[in-house]
Amino acid sequence: MNRDELTKYILEKYAGKIELLETGKYEPVFLIKREDLLEFCKSINSDETLQIDFLNNIAAVDTGEKFEVVYSVSSVKKRISFDFKAVMPYEGAEVDSIQEIWAGANWHEREVWELYGINIRNHGNLTRFLLPDDWNQGFPMRKNWDAPDFKRMPEL
Amino acid sequence: MGVIKKLPVYLEKFPGGGIATTSLNYVLSQSQASSLWYLLFGTACCAIELMATGASRYDFDRFGMIFRASPRQSDLIIAAGTITKKMAPRLRLLYDQMAEPRYVIAMGGCTVHGGPFYYDSYAVEKGIDHIVPVDVYIPGCPPRPESLLEGCLTLQNKIKKLKVQDWS
Repeated sequence: MNRDELTKYILEKYAGKIELLETGKYEPVFLIKREDLLEFCKSINSDETLQIDFLNNIAAVDTGEKFEVVYSVSSVKKRISFDFKAVMPYEGAEVDSIQEIWAGANWHEREVWELYGINIRNHGNLTRFLLPDDWNQGFPMRKNWDAPDFKRMPEL
Repeated sequence: MGVIKKLPVYLEKFPGGGIATTSLNYVLSQSQASSLWYLLFGTACCAIELMATGASRYDFDRFGMIFRASPRQSDLIIAAGTITKKMAPRLRLLYDQMAEPRYVIAMGGCTVHGGPFYYDSYAVEKGIDHIVPVDVYIPGCPPRPESLLEGCLTLQNKIKKLKVQDWS
């Protein structure tokens, strides 16, 4: 299954729930509603044609207006991979945990929570992960984050 | 330490004792400076240069500098690499575990003032002199082995100027 077939298949199967953001040079990127996230993950995991069995990465993006949580998945058997992302406003930023499908999501989700302050529903162990244990300065990867000894790069 | 520190004071009361004190100073500081064992503390890419300096081409050993894997056996920390805020308490702990007299060399831009992580970084300590007292700063990203050797020679000269009476 090549990239175009994959894009077509996903767009047809999940019509109405998903839209194509960009085909990219290598992998298609889809946009998904965060309410559908867990269901969508379960579905692509059990789908016979896709057989998405591996979660590559979870990343978060602060665009300055809203948060994006980007999931990058692939199938080892079918040799396909694609990304999908959920977009949400600053207030009440929260996504479902997808640990029940891919257990490796645990640490990725802790990182997303710790650095961006995006709450992970039903995670079970949202504790300090990369930052020092006594960290109390908020979520450092947010665009509006600031601290006493934090210096922004001056405009050149 | 107490006896050695008071030794010059007693000695000076005897005729010709001043010469003995000077010689004692010379022997002690010379032997201290000629055998600086450094703690293996490489946290980032500067450690590669540190390893290169320790290897045969630059040969740290000819200055009597041998790496030790334990802070209790070392006289010197060469902080080679970025010290993050999470690593800072560990550096302080290692420093506290060393026996006096102890010295610190800050190797590379990161340890001097944060280096390339001075701006836009929430994680990096802006200079390890916030954590431990530093004797010699070696700038560079990373410094070449020659710079490190120069820094160590500077530290040796600094130690050679110390007097027994100055020991704390």
